[in-house]
Amino acid sequence: MLGKLDWSAIPFDQPIPLVAGAIVLVGILAVLIWVVAKGHLPYLWHEWITSVDHKRIGVMYILLASVMLLRGGSDAIMMRIQQAVAYQSQGFLPPEHYNQIFSAHGTIMIFFVAMPFVIGLMNLIVPLQLGVRDVAFPTLNSVGFWLTATGALLVNLSLVVGEFARTGWLAFPPLSELSYSPGVGVDYYAWSLQISGVGTLVAGINLVTTVLKLRTKGMNYLRMPMFCWTTLASNLLIVAAFPILTATLAMLLLDRYLGFHFFTNEAGGNIMMFMNLIWAWGHPEVYILVLPAFGIFSEVVSTFSGKALFGYRSMVLATMAICVISFMVWLHHFFTMGAGPDVNAIFGIASMIIAVPTGVKIYNWLFTMYGGRIRFATPMLWAIGFMVTFIVGGLTGVLLAVPPADFMLHNSMFLVAHFHNVIIGGVLFGAFAGFEYWFPKAFGFRLDERWGKLAFWFTFLGFYVTFVPLYVAGMLGMTRRMQHYDVAEWRPWMFVAAAGMAVLSIGVICQIVQIVVSIRNREALRDRTGDPWDGRSLEWATSSPPPVFNFAFHPDVRGEDAYWDMKTRAQQQSLEHEAPEYHDIEMPRNSPTGFICAFFATIMGFALIWHIWWMVILGGIGAFATFVVFAWRDHDEYVIPAEEVAAIDRINLEERRSLVSMAGAV
Amino acid sequence: MSDQAHTRTEHDIAPGDEEQHSVGERVIGYVVGLGLALLLTATSFFIAGTDLVWQPSIPVALIVLAIAQMGVHLVFFLHITTGPDNTNNVLALAFGAMVVFLVVGGTVWIMGHLNQNMPPMDQIMQMHR
Repeated sequence: MLGKLDWSAIPFDQPIPLVAGAIVLVGILAVLIWVVAKGHLPYLWHEWITSVDHKRIGVMYILLASVMLLRGGSDAIMMRIQQAVAYQSQGFLPPEHYNQIFSAHGTIMIFFVAMPFVIGLMNLIVPLQLGVRDVAFPTLNSVGFWLTATGALLVNLSLVVGEFARTGWLAFPPLSELSYSPGVGVDYYAWSLQISGVGTLVAGINLVTTVLKLRTKGMNYLRMPMFCWTTLASNLLIVAAFPILTATLAMLLLDRYLGFHFFTNEAGGNIMMFMNLIWAWGHPEVYILVLPAFGIFSEVVSTFSGKALFGYRSMVLATMAICVISFMVWLHHFFTMGAGPDVNAIFGIASMIIAVPTGVKIYNWLFTMYGGRIRFATPMLWAIGFMVTFIVGGLTGVLLAVPPADFMLHNSMFLVAHFHNVIIGGVLFGAFAGFEYWFPKAFGFRLDERWGKLAFWFTFLGFYVTFVPLYVAGMLGMTRRMQHYDVAEWRPWMFVAAAGMAVLSIGVICQIVQIVVSIRNREALRDRTGDPWDGRSLEWATSSPPPVFNFAFHPDVRGEDAYWDMKTRAQQQSLEHEAPEYHDIEMPRNSPTGFICAFFATIMGFALIWHIWWMVILGGIGAFATFVVFAWRDHDEYVIPAEEVAAIDRINLEERRSLVSMAGAV
Repeated sequence: MSDQAHTRTEHDIAPGDEEQHSVGERVIGYVVGLGLALLLTATSFFIAGTDLVWQPSIPVALIVLAIAQMGVHLVFFLHITTGPDNTNNVLALAFGAMVVFLVVGGTVWIMGHLNQNMPPMDQIMQMHR
């Protein structure tokens, strides 16, 4: 009746996950009770859960990423403490638990922090920058978000019901095969990635279509803001690469569920094929994450330097070059697998070549800053911190791209330090920069600068104190994923890294305090003009937060930096706007399709993990029925009458005019 | 969403958004496509078993017929044309073909070289002895 599920699935003998799970459960229950008791449930349902508004969905993506960042971060803290204390002893985490923690840390940080964070920011901002009212497929967008949330839910469920994979974040066979991992851990891993992978693919298709097909009047390709270009490149990579991940995991699941032999040791299976395929997805994946971050930095650097982006066209070219070359380097993740000098040399050279367009970008940012009037606001601090940190990470990356050096450093702590250097220094700093930069746009008030700067400095310093020692430990021969060790020379470095983790945690706390303080002072921090940073692209041309229809009129774009251009023209000609004529606007209706689909997908995923076949069928039928009901819907749009549009838009127009006239007077 | 209609230029149109031909014209297009596809399929089966042509040329002929088959599908069923309204579709096709080529070609190349660092089998047997 319940497949493999019984009471032994609950880890009563392990206090850490049980207590953690209990705290989270109490927290969720408390929030739910508060929501229901205060009567917020209808608001939450109508305005957020069923929303197909790209801004709301973007915010929910970022909220999901932030919550999962705390979860993945607590895994990281436990690992650092474990390695600091586990010298010639077992430490406080038993091996099977430690293995689950490093696997969960990697899986969560990549799939449920970095991915939703960048997809959330793209969702929130790209339609605004393109000057349009929504993404190409609004309801599909909601489905994508909720499926991602399903994956995250399943991963967290594994904390209390059953176990998570002990195989590392990519579940290499043969360890991940049934004979070596008979438990449900790998199944939790694979099914949550399969389900959230569908969500990611959907988001990718949606955003590619949005950039290619929905641009406002005059917004041709070479006038798009840089963030739109990197969004296009990143989502093209999603569409091309995620099917590889899905196919690879499907083969692993066939091995585990139906006795196939794709990657087994016996019966002609080939484990090397798994490495090959998973990294053919895995390398484009790192560019999927970092390209949007590059876009965010381009926007931030140009805004806070008060200058147009230097070398816009070379930036576009570099972005698209990275998009293509990222599919030619995946072997550098397994130089030591034995493909020989010919293959290794070619992939090594390709890996070094891909550093060139990235270097072009760095120089472009530097030249954008050169001669500019730089304002050191929090987003700009993150951008500068990124440039310094990412160059260090990039250089150690080029070092690892030299095959002979890689044979020495493969799977060492040096590698761990390298990829944290580029992912934290690149993607996470980028996500934080975007968060600080666009928060006023999303919520209508700015974030507290003092706490934001504190958060930056603690995170920045904490990052170096944590990860530079890991480079050294790697050079001293320490391999990754060690539950305990007996080498005395490594220990001081592990202490320093643990101390760095403490500094990093203070940075995280500062960030939470920043949000709380800003919400309290929101009236003082209110952004009435919609343009708090003196921005250059179209998202600043509407109010903060933007109305549901984004723009009362489709903006007319005449060149790069569309909004800067408009502001300049408005000041020079001191245009007396006559009252514009407003029209009705049609917007897509909210739909619970995404939430209901994800609800059934959660049931199906859980049932698949525990082999509860009747429940699998139930979930499958439910999800399909939801699709059918949606496909046969009668009304999918509603009309906002012209008077309402006018009422909403006039308030913003007044504020904006007073701003322009004030600036003109100065 | 109707407000997006005017943001579209005629230079990039999604499949299905093409100028509306009359139903008759479209049916004829599909029928011609189906006919050509069937013809090419039948020819492939015929060539594979025939001794009317020079035997070593048969694999080449099959490859040519397969490529022609792909062309028929792209033109008649997926409506890929060289017109300016098709730029996005052609670029998407090219990008997809490139990724498939890189991944499949790269995989074959990598997997074919995996024994490069291994001594020949008889040497391994010697070592075990």
